[in-house]
Amino acid sequence: MVFNSYTFVLFFAVLLALHNMPFSWKTKKINLLGASYLFYALWNPPFILLLWLSTIVDFYMAKLISITEDKTRRRMWLAVSLVLNLGMLSYFKYGGFLLENFTMLMNSLGIAFEAAKPDIILPVGISFYTFVTLSYTIDVYKRKFAPESSFLDFALFVTYFPHLVAGPIVRPEDLIPQFKQPKKATGQQFMWGIFLLTLGLFLKVVIADGWLSETSDLIFGLPFPVNPLDAWSAVLAFSGQIFCDFSGYSTCAIGVSLCLGFKLPENFRYPYAAVGFSDFWRRWHITLSTWLRDYLYIPLGGNRAGRFQTYINLMITMLLGGLWHGASWNFVIWGGLHGLFLCIERLIKRNPKKAGVAATEAEEVVLQATVIPVRRNNISVLLRVLLTFFLLNVTWVFFRSPDFGTAIRMLLCMFGVITQGPKMLTTPDMLKVAIVTVGLLVCHWNMRERSVKGLFQSMPWWLFGTLWGIMLILIVLTQKSTGSFIYFQF
Amino acid sequence: MKKTNLKAACLGGALVVLFLIGWESYLRQSGFICSYNDDESLWAATRRNIYQATPAGPVIVGTSRAKFDIDLQTWEGITGKAPVQLAIVGTTPRPVLQDLASDPNFKGTLILDVMEPLFFQPNGSFAEVSATKRLAYYPKWSLSQQASFVINRQLEDHLLFLDEEKFSVNALIKRLPIASRPGVFVFPVFPLNLEYGLPNRQTSFTDSFLTDTAAQAEVKGVWARMGLTSTKRGVGGDTLTNIIRSVAKSVDQIRARGGQVVFVRFPSSGEVWNAEQQAYPRELYWERLLKETGVTGIHFADYPELSRYKCPEWSHLSPADAKSFTKDLTRIIETKTKWSLQNAVSQNIP
Repeated sequence: MVFNSYTFVLFFAVLLALHNMPFSWKTKKINLLGASYLFYALWNPPFILLLWLSTIVDFYMAKLISITEDKTRRRMWLAVSLVLNLGMLSYFKYGGFLLENFTMLMNSLGIAFEAAKPDIILPVGISFYTFVTLSYTIDVYKRKFAPESSFLDFALFVTYFPHLVAGPIVRPEDLIPQFKQPKKATGQQFMWGIFLLTLGLFLKVVIADGWLSETSDLIFGLPFPVNPLDAWSAVLAFSGQIFCDFSGYSTCAIGVSLCLGFKLPENFRYPYAAVGFSDFWRRWHITLSTWLRDYLYIPLGGNRAGRFQTYINLMITMLLGGLWHGASWNFVIWGGLHGLFLCIERLIKRNPKKAGVAATEAEEVVLQATVIPVRRNNISVLLRVLLTFFLLNVTWVFFRSPDFGTAIRMLLCMFGVITQGPKMLTTPDMLKVAIVTVGLLVCHWNMRERSVKGLFQSMPWWLFGTLWGIMLILIVLTQKSTGSFIYFQF
Repeated sequence: MKKTNLKAACLGGALVVLFLIGWESYLRQSGFICSYNDDESLWAATRRNIYQATPAGPVIVGTSRAKFDIDLQTWEGITGKAPVQLAIVGTTPRPVLQDLASDPNFKGTLILDVMEPLFFQPNGSFAEVSATKRLAYYPKWSLSQQASFVINRQLEDHLLFLDEEKFSVNALIKRLPIASRPGVFVFPVFPLNLEYGLPNRQTSFTDSFLTDTAAQAEVKGVWARMGLTSTKRGVGGDTLTNIIRSVAKSVDQIRARGGQVVFVRFPSSGEVWNAEQQAYPRELYWERLLKETGVTGIHFADYPELSRYKCPEWSHLSPADAKSFTKDLTRIIETKTKWSLQNAVSQNIP
């Protein structure tokens, strides 16, 4: 089920009614768990078995880990959890990819090998709930906390529908304590939750699906080169689309959860105002980047194992982070580019004087030319924001392209190496991309150090209400009611 | 804060209600009528009914011509069973034919609309890719989407502004008079009063369009821009041979399971018909298709009762003409194929 569907409206209305009835807290939690399974099963019922398997195994493995003192046995129970979760993920997400690459490798070695193409359906949200359950068993193994004693609370933590299929990737400490006491949204929380749901749907339905998806889908789907302006428009369209799609989902999830009285962690913090790639990853898909930091980068040694090893660790983390997004070399390249930019940034930060000279030379030009409100003392920050945004767009080409050839062709078009491609986009399509891109940059720049809540709290109520109404009207009029979220495929 | 949020929510809600009442009233005042979105969900819901298809209630595969020209209600009145309308506007029917041919449970009867400019589009063309995309949706049509479809249907029964193709934000933006760069193909927009769709996927011209000669001229202009009045010869050589072979293969698959197929060439008129005759000479395309597939074909030009119509915009029949056309078509199909269509519902003819 997706948030932008009539089914969800009905589902959520019934659930809210049940959650606010005078049932016992245990009954309410059972309602929530049942509703979460229903939420998932309405996509593809059989895959709920995987969710149950993961939940049951991790619950009992964590218990065994905690009561066992013997190191070998503890490792063995942890390994059972890791093998099961990563095994499921590998089979469903990477089975076809591995087989395809194995076939290519055999053929390149001169060994005739032809494998039947496996017909594997990727269970929605498997990458997300696998990470959720993994963090639990690993933390119990590290004795960060005791295993959860209530199977109901643990199952609800894993399955809680707002985060189940596309995050935020919650940690046990984020959610399980909230299930211990009866929870019901206050009037204020409920209103704010509904507003966040509206905002998320506006980002997803109106901006991502309504205004941008057609442009990026059209150009990235073409088998021939296009005019440079069209190539840039498509990449900028995707840049806006993926942010509005994914942050829209997270905002909906946080809002829906708040309506039930539970708080979910923040997942986006105006990433297109990031100064550099390390700042970007503090603002983009925050729950994934912190997960990768805590369970991959730091265990690899982080930045404590020497300068060279730090760069290696960064690259490994980002390459695997890229692969997490999908079974394709393009995602690996996307992760690799992010890793590379992080390493370069780290190198530059070690020598700040050189970086400063280039910035001051461009400041005067920007001060006169920019459309973004800017003061003299933050021009260099703005320049670095724009440079980061530019480089991010280069990386998005690999993320969006269906194959490596398309990505290279798009880059050649963007940078004017191929200029003879046809013009494909109409003026209204390009205007929509331009308006959203400038709008996003201005919004992210102004909101870098602020929050949505702070912004709307500071508004007069009539302005807040008018904006809320306009968003709702545009959602209704856009009518793209059942489009799936991009991150569902991950 | 609490009061502020509540006041803002009330204002926002009031604005939405007032706007939607105003918008719906305006559209009704302007003479528009309710039309159902002919989207992936409606197609998928219709696709589920193919397994009961018989000569009396066949599956129809094709283009917009099949959707306008076969009056489903008239057909049902004659045979006692409604056809399953799977035609998709602006696409080649071959992908849908292949889909039905590769479905081992489909053993029914098929009417295939042969509109040459779309039927003979090569693989990879826009018309072929569009049909393939529509097909890809069906196996992934989740329970949640099915439930949303049912709810949406109830809303569409009453709310005119839910017509996505005409009144969604994107559709309205596309109508803005903004010029594009030279060389860009801008997909033409049709008049808002052109047609309406029913839940059974029947499409018909509106009364207002039939009396609006300016709108009819506008659509004729659209056909010209889309190449329907071009006399340029269609595909030939290996491409044509491969297309016909793939159709023959699909037909054979359906027949091997006891199913039946008939080709129908629906009427066109004016410049569109003139162009179609030159771009797709009958002996090179239609006759060859019949010969190499061994399928019975009904070409409107061969029957005075089918060729007496004048399409208002050169390509589709008016609702009144579609009724008499359907009546004659069922009789001709029965005569040519020897299938018994009249009240065949209880006979369940294989």
